[in-house]
Parts: sequence; structure tokens; C-alpha cells
Amino acid sequence: MSNPIVGLIMGVIFGASLVLTGLTNPDKIIGALRLKDFYAIRTVAVFLLVGMLGTWILDLFGTAHFDIKPAVILPVLIGGALLGTGLGLTGFGPATGLASAASGRIDAVITVIGMIFGAHVYILIYPSIVMPLERIFNFGSVTLPQITGASAAFWVVPIFAAGSLVLLITRSREPRDDEQRIKAGDFGMNEEFPDRLSPKPIPIEKGLYLKSDCLKAACVFRRWKNLLFIVMLLCLLLNQASFWLVSTGQVEITENPNIAAPAKGSHNPLLFGYNVTFEHLTTVLSITNIILVFTSMLYGFIMYFSLGVSFKGRLGGLAHICGALYMALIIFVLLVPWQKFFGAIALGATFTPDELVSWCTTDISDTFGLVLFYLRFTGYWALILLLLLLAQLRSFRWARVILR
Amino acid sequence: MPWWAAGLLLGLVQILAIALVKPMGVSKQFVVVDTKVLNRIAPEYSENHPLLNDDQYTKFGYGGWFNIGIILGACLAALHLRAWKVRTVSAWWRRNHDAPVLLRLIAGFCGGVLLLLGARLAYGCITGQFIGGWTQLSLSAIPFTITLFGFGMLVAYLVYPKKPNRFSQEE
Repeated sequence: MSNPIVGLIMGVIFGASLVLTGLTNPDKIIGALRLKDFYAIRTVAVFLLVGMLGTWILDLFGTAHFDIKPAVILPVLIGGALLGTGLGLTGFGPATGLASAASGRIDAVITVIGMIFGAHVYILIYPSIVMPLERIFNFGSVTLPQITGASAAFWVVPIFAAGSLVLLITRSREPRDDEQRIKAGDFGMNEEFPDRLSPKPIPIEKGLYLKSDCLKAACVFRRWKNLLFIVMLLCLLLNQASFWLVSTGQVEITENPNIAAPAKGSHNPLLFGYNVTFEHLTTVLSITNIILVFTSMLYGFIMYFSLGVSFKGRLGGLAHICGALYMALIIFVLLVPWQKFFGAIALGATFTPDELVSWCTTDISDTFGLVLFYLRFTGYWALILLLLLLAQLRSFRWARVILR
Repeated sequence: MPWWAAGLLLGLVQILAIALVKPMGVSKQFVVVDTKVLNRIAPEYSENHPLLNDDQYTKFGYGGWFNIGIILGACLAALHLRAWKVRTVSAWWRRNHDAPVLLRLIAGFCGGVLLLLGARLAYGCITGQFIGGWTQLSLSAIPFTITLFGFGMLVAYLVYPKKPNRFSQEE
């Protein structure tokens, strides 16, 4: 596909995107190098990460056309230094210089002419200077996965994490538009209660009555919410406890429930003088799973209704309850045992006794499998617990705001 | 255009290029232009030169048309945005060096020489070596990134010490 027409089309697309994204502006590049304007850094970081992920996926499908540059350390180091000097001096890269020149910058035109001279200098010094340098520290055209023997995913994930960190560090410190407006006290509404259903705004007295009514409702919701939270917490703890009892071998797995429990004197633990067998755990797990899924749904609903009540009654704390609602929804989504419907593609945080048996009876010897095992049962559970605590914290703040 | 949309657009262009032909690269074609000229005006010099007889530097093909496409596309996009305007100095330059146009042009020329010399020494420019290197996870991208940003930031600090007041409103 490397014919001139494809090249021309790709060039048009690339040049147009360079101008559209504003990278042809030398002020943006200099601002990025001086760490004053993070637009170019963020754009290039996303450019790089998206390109890397896309290339990786293309490579998995076997349709990527690679063109690995040789890793000759000395020329690459010197070249990077010279290129960096030119970039810091002019604010153009070779590609953005061409595009800038085409969008009317005279200095970029001069830079392009300079680049042609630079190519000439390169040709002149190539036999005497560059060729000797190419012979030392030449690792050839290798990629990081090739040289380390690891899979590409091993490199893609950390680089992606590093790029995300760059994006996080360089995020805008100035408050966003809406936050600034709230700070300035410009909410875009007046004292009276505008109601979408009635054309006339609700008068103040009626609004106060509505407010106290809504407060009472919010109190009811809060009580139920706390109750559900305690139930969910108990169920989660029971779930996890049964997992640990089985995985550490405290409770012996009886594959077939028809077979009688092991004879007396086996090492099943005695809890409060009660002999715990795997059958009991099975029952406990089934019940807690059902309770967990339903209570998390109710928890989300209560958050939603609390949001509605505090919105309608102008009670405040909307930001807190919105956060809590979102987390409650995530908890619900994660808790549903998706593996029942979709097989192993989607895992829910709740695990059935059968699953526990199949995971515990397979012999896991390598570290990766062990990590996966604990991630699936404990890590996932810890995530749910964390989300639950956060949701409860957010809704607690909501309650504190409206009931102060 | 917000930063994420801009990055996404450029990333998708790169993916398209890798899916169709090869990662994008700009700087090699400047050498091709010079090779053409040298082969024409000084054939006795180019006879034994290792670069000037290399096939990838004597053929004007995909890469050359890619660069012409960049010029065309940038021109069209600038016209579309109504941003096509003759300018000689940037806001950072005006803030730090008043506005001597000649000095800016000289700096631009020297910078251009350094840009392409460095790009060819490193086997690729910012597009080819930095972006293309990281997208393909090639080893050469690591030393290149270190010196590119080290020297870039140092030189930018020396040349442009003062921050303009409204640097983002230039374009």
C-alpha cells in the first residue's frame, strides 16, 4: 500500500490534524518545554498512548507494519540533543515546521529551508563521522519486548500508567468554568423555587413546607440506608470468612453433598461449639449472595430517592449524594454474578459455592495463578468493601449537610 | 480542540498509518531532496558516497508524497479555520526579544539545520523516532527521549526565559 496516492492522503490527514490540534503553533511547543502550558504535553501523551495501544492491538491481529529504527545509542543520543536544541530554539519539529510553513509562518518557511541545509550537512558528514559512530553500541533494530524477552503487554501497561501519571500531574489547576461560577455566587437561579411542572414559581411559604417535608423523608431514607449498609457489610464479611475457611483448608470440601460429612474427629473447626461443615458454608454463601445483590440494588435505589428528595426540597448536599449514588450503582453492577450469564468473560464479585470448589481444588503452583486466585476472591471483595465504605462516607456527608 | 480529542485524533492517524503502510516519518525525505540535487549537480562526488546511492534515499515515493500531503493538508486546514495568516514571530519570541524579525529568521534557520541534522543522526524526527518509537516500543526511543527533552527544555529556558502574558491567545 506504499504507493504515492496513499502517501499523499495520509500526509493530508496528518498535516490537517497537526493544524487542527494546534501543535503547529510554536508558542504551544515552547510553552510545553518551559512547563508553562501543558496543552502540547497532554496532547502528545494521548497521541503516544493511543498510538501504542492501537499498534499493540494491530500487532495482536497481525496487521501492523513495523518500522523499527536501529538502536545505535551514540548517534541517537547526539541526534536527540541536536533535535532538542533546534526544537527549543524555534518551537518547530520537522513535521510541525512543514505544517506551520504551509499555514503562513515565514519563520517556519525559513526553518524548512534550514532543514534542507541540515540534510545536506548530514550527507556531508555521514561517511566521516556517522558511519564510525554507527559501529559502536549498535543494538540493531530491536524493540523493548524483544530485548527483555517479555511480552508486549508487560511494557504497554507500565508505559500506559506512566503516561496517565503525566496526564494527572499536568492537569489544569484552575477551577473549571462551573466551579468558578459557583464560587462567584452565580447559580443562575433566584430565591424562589422554580418548578418545571407549574409555570409559576412556588411561593416561599409553600417552599418551606416542602422543605421540612423533604427533610423528614430524607431522615427515613437515611435510616434505611444505614440499615442496608450494615446488612451488606455483614454479608460481605460472612462471604469472605467462608472463603478463607475453605481456602486455608479449615473446612474440608465435600464434593458431593450426598456423602455424609467426615466422621467426628475430623479437623472441621468448632465455632461456638458448632461443627461447621462445607454444607453449612454452601447455605451461608447462597443466602448471603442473594441478600447482597438485592440489598445493593435497594441501596442504590435509596441513594437515588435521597437525591431526588434533596433536589426537590433544595436541601443541599447534592454533590455528596450524587457521588454516593454512583458508587452504589457500581457496587450493584460489580456484585451481580455475571459469570452465571456470560461464563468466565464477566466476573461478578459474588461467588457461588461451586466456583469456590472449582478454584480451590485446582492445583495452583505458579505465582501468577496464586495472585489471580486471591485477586478474584479477596481483591475483588476488598474493592467492593472500599466502594461501600466510600459510598457510606459520601452519604454520611450528605446527611450531615442537610441535617445541620 | 480539547487536548484529549487532539491526542485521540493524532493517535488514530498513527494507527491508520501503521495499519496501512508504516509509522509516519517526515525527516528522511529532506535527505531525499538533497540526494536528488547532489546526484544531479555533483555526480562524481555521489558516486562513492554510501548514502547517495542507497535505494531508500534515491527514490521519491510514498514518503515524499506524504510530506507534500502534510503541506497540502496543513494549508487546507489553516484556510478552513481561517487561520492562514502571514506571521514571522511567535508570542514567546516577542516577549523575550522584542520583535527583531531578522534575528528570529536567523534563529529559525539555525534551528532548522540542527533539527534535521539531529533527526537524521537519530534515524527519525519527533514524529518518527519519539512517537513512532514509543508506539512500536523500540529500544532507540529511550535515549532519544532523554536527550530530546533534556536539551529542549534547557535551550527553551535559555532562549525564552520570560513568559508572555497572553501566550495562548496568539493563534
